Amino acid sequence: MAEKMELHEVEVWDGNMAASHALRQAQVDVVAAYPITPSTPIVQNYSQFLADGQVDGEFVMVESEHAAMSGCVGAAAAGGRVATATSSQGFALMSEVLYQAAGMRLPIVLCVVNRALASPLNVNGDHSDMYMGRDAGWINLCSYNPQEAYDLTLMSFKIGEDLDVRLPVMMHQDGFICSHTAQSVRALDDDSAYKFVGDYIPKNPMLDFEKPVTYGSQTEEDWHFEHKARQHNDHMNSFPVIERVFKEFKELTGREYNLVEKYHMDDAEIALVALGTTVESAILTAEELRKEGIKAGVVSLRVLRPFPFIQIAEALKGVKAVATLDRSLPGGALGMLYNEITASLYHSEHRPLVTNYIYGLGGRDMTIGHLKEVFKETKANADAGKLTVPIQQFIGLRGPKLTFY
Amino acid sequence: MELRGWDEFEIGSVLFSFNEKVENIPNVQQEDRSYSENNSFQASVAHWRVEKPIFNVDHCIDCFFCWIYCPDSSILAREKEVEKKGEKIMEQSMVGIDYVHCKGCGVCSSVCPTDPKSLLMVDEHDEEERVLANWPKKEGKEK
Amino acid sequence: MTEIRWHSRAGQGAVTGAKGLADVIAGTGKEVQAFAFYGSAKRGAAMTAYNRIDDKPIRNHEKYMRPDFVFVIDPGLTYIADICLNEKDDTKYIITTHLSKEELLKSKPELEGKSVHVLDCIKISQETIGKPIPNAPMLGAYIKVSGVLEIDYFLDSFKKVLGKKLPQKIIDANMVAIKRAYDEVN
Ligand code: SF4
Ligand code: SF4
Repeated sequence: MAEKMELHEVEVWDGNMAASHALRQAQVDVVAAYPITPSTPIVQNYSQFLADGQVDGEFVMVESEHAAMSGCVGAAAAGGRVATATSSQGFALMSEVLYQAAGMRLPIVLCVVNRALASPLNVNGDHSDMYMGRDAGWINLCSYNPQEAYDLTLMSFKIGEDLDVRLPVMMHQDGFICSHTAQSVRALDDDSAYKFVGDYIPKNPMLDFEKPVTYGSQTEEDWHFEHKARQHNDHMNSFPVIERVFKEFKELTGREYNLVEKYHMDDAEIALVALGTTVESAILTAEELRKEGIKAGVVSLRVLRPFPFIQIAEALKGVKAVATLDRSLPGGALGMLYNEITASLYHSEHRPLVTNYIYGLGGRDMTIGHLKEVFKETKANADAGKLTVPIQQFIGLRGPKLTFY
Repeated sequence: MELRGWDEFEIGSVLFSFNEKVENIPNVQQEDRSYSENNSFQASVAHWRVEKPIFNVDHCIDCFFCWIYCPDSSILAREKEVEKKGEKIMEQSMVGIDYVHCKGCGVCSSVCPTDPKSLLMVDEHDEEERVLANWPKKEGKEK
Repeated sequence: MTEIRWHSRAGQGAVTGAKGLADVIAGTGKEVQAFAFYGSAKRGAAMTAYNRIDDKPIRNHEKYMRPDFVFVIDPGLTYIADICLNEKDDTKYIITTHLSKEELLKSKPELEGKSVHVLDCIKISQETIGKPIPNAPMLGAYIKVSGVLEIDYFLDSFKKVLGKKLPQKIIDANMVAIKRAYDEVN
């Protein structure tokens, strides 16, 4: 049996350390990993815990990220609680197996430390990997700081493993800005954390010799569609489970999480929608602007997949103008947040004006100053009752002003 | 197989080999297992056969090459009384072909290492006794 | 909110120093943040690390900072890094140098008229820890200049922070280094 660890009431952890402790406390059975910057410390810390006798699991060093996720699929199909971590190029190499894990309905937890995708090569944070994997059929949770990285990693197990869900879960945190930024984190003690996550309940494990089972079957035109539809149905219907887990977590810790997060939205006239650490910087900016009399609010997707289509429109109900901030540049299209949120607003009664800002690629700093500008342009749209700026713009980009539409 | 709707089957496109819980399955012969409809045991393509393998026990050395290579698990191995050093003992031996599943691909015959072969591919309509009576002689090593 | 920018070379322990400071300050009930600018820099390359300290949870994630304190833990960086970047009127500089304050100001006129404090973190760490790792002495100097904590409290908590990772001999040497820096900074 692994030793328990005594934690301080307040620990100073970076996002990676926070995720490592969540894996430790969840008593993961198998971590199969191929470390990559900036997610490396998550599995490195975990292997240190293992070497120090603080976890009982297995740590499997494999030869690539493709093999890491394949190892996770094998271990999860065998009937264990499984987790790993990756970023960027590693995530891209895993992508084939990400779809397999979701199709086989294996509740693997993947800690994604978001980083730009080459080329050009870049180790810093943006959401290119998150965007790349968003259609893989996983539940996607987003965090803004190390505390949330800890909280949501613990919750990922409980959500994905729920017998009504049984889907893998990605827990996103921003590379470096969260993963390597140490902040105050209030963690649960080991026993409470494990009790919250609960024992792993195997479903159709390959190690049940009384009921031999085949994973990874081939289905063609006559069966494939039904299987994918079933997967989609269970994914779309996972909202109540996610909300129940959020509620149980709040009862335990007092920390509240929602499918869609709203800040200063009660009387907001304009709103900014973002993901990751930018959400918190935007909240600060909104608070400053409110001192100037600008009714600014911030909305964020805590859960990117399943996409909270109804809740996001509901959150933006009543605002006159919205700016969607994408920290990734989908090649040849408007930003993902712009496209998906506009689609949900299309069916709302008062359709607000919506603009799209691409920012922060490759770790480019998103300052409070930039955020103020975005709010002010959004306010101008609201005041004019029409768009006063092009739909797609770029923040903090050098060279001639680049815009589309 | 009945084509069912999206809400009518196990999640994860997993397939179970058996209808009921099983015990000690490696020691139960195929014909005694309660295979589910998803098991390939239920999906024979034997009608495809135009040539069939004939087994000649007199030359067989029980190497099980054929058993390993057969793509349709159609080589039958069973406990059989054999004589070893003058003693009679029970041992797993090659006993013949499962013609309900054999598709006639000829792989078993081509991997059989004995001289002459212990498995020969013949016309589907040939009689077993006729083939056994005319079994080829030892070829010897080609020089 | 107190904001600190460290100027260091990769390998001199600015990140460890910033995290160690955050650890100690968190123990006093304040909220902390410690981060750095990373690239694929090799050891010896100029880099910066940052601290934010506040009474309420820190939600600012911009890298842009107008620092209250600037720590320069490598003597050469005073001349090659932009240590006055985004300074405020009352930004305090704590600079490691073998020069006296007067000599330093003469060699770096840009600092004239600013709140500048000097000490030789390199020499202190060499003489106490046995290696030129100037991060711990800088913390001693900061405690003196800022007056945020009693030095004894700081030493006691920092000992516990180091205790997670280092052998006793090294911890003791660090304590001597911090105390010396506290006494020598001016
Ligand atoms: S002919 Fe092919 S299918 Fe039939 S027993 Fe031989 S190897 Fe198996
Ligand atoms: S390969 Fe030939 S010799 Fe070997 S077991 Fe099969 S029939 Fe017998």
